[in-house]
Amino acid sequence: MTTGEDIKRTVISPASILAFVARFQSYLVLLLIVIIAAILSPERRGENVFLGSSNLLNVVRFASENGIIAIGMTLVIITAGIDLSVGSVLALCAVTAAYMMMTQDANLFVTLITVIAVGLTAGLANGIISTKLRIQPFIVTLAMMSIARGAASLLADGYAIPLAYGDGEGLAPPAFRRLFGGNVMLFDVKVPVQVFYFVGVALIASFVLNRTRFGRHVYAVGGNETASRLSGVNTDRVKIAVYAITGVLVAIAACLHAALVSQGSHIDGQGYELNAIAAVVIGGTNLMGGIGTIGGTFIGALILSVLDNILGLRNVQSEYQAILKGLIIVLAVVLQRKRSA
Amino acid sequence: MIEFVNLCKRFHATVALEDVRFVVQTGTVHALVGENGAGKSTLMKILSGAYQPDEGTITIDGSSVRFHSPADALDAGIGIIHQELNLIPYLTVAENIMLGKESMTRFRLVDRKTSRRRAKTLLDSLGLAIDPHRLVGSLRVGEQQLVEIAKALAANVRILILDEPTSALSDTEIENLFAVMDALRSSGVTLIYISHKLNEVFRMADTITVLRDGRCVGTWPRQETTEQSIISHMVGRELTDLFPKTSVEPGEEVLRVEDLSTHPHQFDERRAIRNISLTLRRGEILGLAGLMGAGRTEVLEAIYGALSAHQREGAVFMRDQTVKINSPGEAISHGIAMVPEDRKVQSLVHQMSVRENTTLSNLKAFSRFGTVDRRREREATSAEIKRLSIKTSGPSANIDSLSGGNQQKVVLARCLLTHPDVLLLDEPTRGIDVGAKSEIYTLMSSIAAGGTGIIMASSELPELLAMCDRILVMHEGRVSREIDASEASQVAVMAAATGQVDQLVS
Repeated sequence: MTTGEDIKRTVISPASILAFVARFQSYLVLLLIVIIAAILSPERRGENVFLGSSNLLNVVRFASENGIIAIGMTLVIITAGIDLSVGSVLALCAVTAAYMMMTQDANLFVTLITVIAVGLTAGLANGIISTKLRIQPFIVTLAMMSIARGAASLLADGYAIPLAYGDGEGLAPPAFRRLFGGNVMLFDVKVPVQVFYFVGVALIASFVLNRTRFGRHVYAVGGNETASRLSGVNTDRVKIAVYAITGVLVAIAACLHAALVSQGSHIDGQGYELNAIAAVVIGGTNLMGGIGTIGGTFIGALILSVLDNILGLRNVQSEYQAILKGLIIVLAVVLQRKRSA
Repeated sequence: MIEFVNLCKRFHATVALEDVRFVVQTGTVHALVGENGAGKSTLMKILSGAYQPDEGTITIDGSSVRFHSPADALDAGIGIIHQELNLIPYLTVAENIMLGKESMTRFRLVDRKTSRRRAKTLLDSLGLAIDPHRLVGSLRVGEQQLVEIAKALAANVRILILDEPTSALSDTEIENLFAVMDALRSSGVTLIYISHKLNEVFRMADTITVLRDGRCVGTWPRQETTEQSIISHMVGRELTDLFPKTSVEPGEEVLRVEDLSTHPHQFDERRAIRNISLTLRRGEILGLAGLMGAGRTEVLEAIYGALSAHQREGAVFMRDQTVKINSPGEAISHGIAMVPEDRKVQSLVHQMSVRENTTLSNLKAFSRFGTVDRRREREATSAEIKRLSIKTSGPSANIDSLSGGNQQKVVLARCLLTHPDVLLLDEPTRGIDVGAKSEIYTLMSSIAAGGTGIIMASSELPELLAMCDRILVMHEGRVSREIDASEASQVAVMAAATGQVDQLVS
């Protein structure tokens, strides 16, 4: 018996090129889209606007919020679940953050604990209700989508709560803006702080999925829940955990969002569930469960962001942007079907 | 007459069929036997249009045919009934039979009355008393299979392929199926019948063809051959001892179950079991016999905690300590492991490798601080591959690249890595070939010799009689008789299984 796990073929043949393309297709698609974007980009003072460092950082900044949510969604979808509530829970968390800081005079620490507790509670509720009462996650999270949106509106009293920073009463701690909306100097480049959250969350999630027992169980539950349960895996706990993790990640994304737009509003995060699912699907995760990677989702979020960015630079109407995004999602799934066939 | 001429089929580097040639006579039952991976299914997929041959031809009544899709083959009158049934549970029997062939009214709407009548005529012609208005989902598996045959006949098939048709059927259902097969044969339909159960093959088939390693070993009229000779053609060697039972002196009691009863949910198809008591000693192999639906699987599931606690009452003792088992995970930590009945659905995670499937139950042993050490995992898997002689390209091979018997060994390895004191086996040799069966029996003997107690539920009496020290026979959810191996016989077990225990004078 050989243990051929680490043997890699080095012969270049048409089949191996195809296999390479299939394996790294999402990376190649990203590369392709970046190239197309660079070609289509307008020029300003002789410089390619798209490839400018500040624009590229913008691309990553806008990928970050969706990307962090999509990473949670990846875990959920690998277990063959779905979470439709992320956008509404984001609104509830953002409103909670603004409410705590602006009306309750809460300091940064208390605010963060509260916001994360809200996200975690919503996630736990999704997980516990769907597993213990055996209701499809689609239904449970659809209900949570409505509940969280309503709760956010109640808390905000129907208006957005704007953030004003300062040290006095009725002002938000400036540390909140530094922590979630600032920039970090890295080799003379101002890097938006969101990027670090995105990359950090992606690295941790990737480690958890690939290297830990929990990660293995996530794949196993999605691949065959019955077999996993009969093999001694606590399948309910695994499923509750992925929704809870998603709730916490949504809370983090909500803080980034509130800091970016300087307010917490009950209409925040509309359609975010679809963007997150789109990033996951473009990244090659199978909606039937059992298959998917964080790397794919990371790339998926970047692809969506590049797309938004270049269409914005070209002043394409948002309606066409939406149509194009839809087409790309279908294309991604078709490509994946080819790969698995 | 169907003639296979020099058929070859390759999948990448693997040769699935090599120069296969034999003849199937019209209006006969022709059995196709061979170990898993011998090429039976590939051959039938070619005949029914799912695959195309790389070389060679198939001729039917003298003219060469080539099908590009299953629909193509069906048009030419060739139908196939797979192990997994292809019926829609939410439609009625009649709707399923007429699916795609519905009678239409003038307005292109489904003419329900005529469709229903045609379905009824078909069922009647097969002598089936199944109500065409019933939902297919409410039928037993055996009835569903007969509906599937009726559905094939609605498409006017002249050649019907049956792939392991009896694997999920009870004895009465098998009798019904055989009666239908007899009727079809008399009406001139050609039946090609794939089966592992040689006693059934010898009962039903007119002719038997053996495939081995993608080649046709030979074709014999049933009267001119014997089971023993067919087996040796299948495995390519004389199988001297199919059941290598080694006698083990049973040790102390390891498991005791007292008055175990279950109350399944209303819509659960599980049978309720009543007041099951049993003891199991180290090194002992205890058999659970009974007809389909007698409650064998339910006993194992109840011990293993696969049923939630509030659906179950009774006491379980491990090593004389009472234990509360609320989930399979807890059962494993108390030293109980189980190989479930349905390998594809209940045992394997198909997206995963051999390694990941092997370590699934005891990943803890290969992790530190929740992090999995893949190197140690790989080493342990390689060791199991060697110990159980699992045929695979290595730990990283996908589990679905293995044959059924080797997949079952992986499931067994998964159980063994938890170092169980009690091993529950539910139909451990279902759907696997003779050679692999024999290997599984050898493993069972050596596991028992290592001091583990084994409970084996099986619907195959020969293996129960040969492998077990004691047999509990179940009838309608209760133990109707306990028989010691020395005095067990097929007749005694069947009598108890059919509830005739009182009338039996032994």
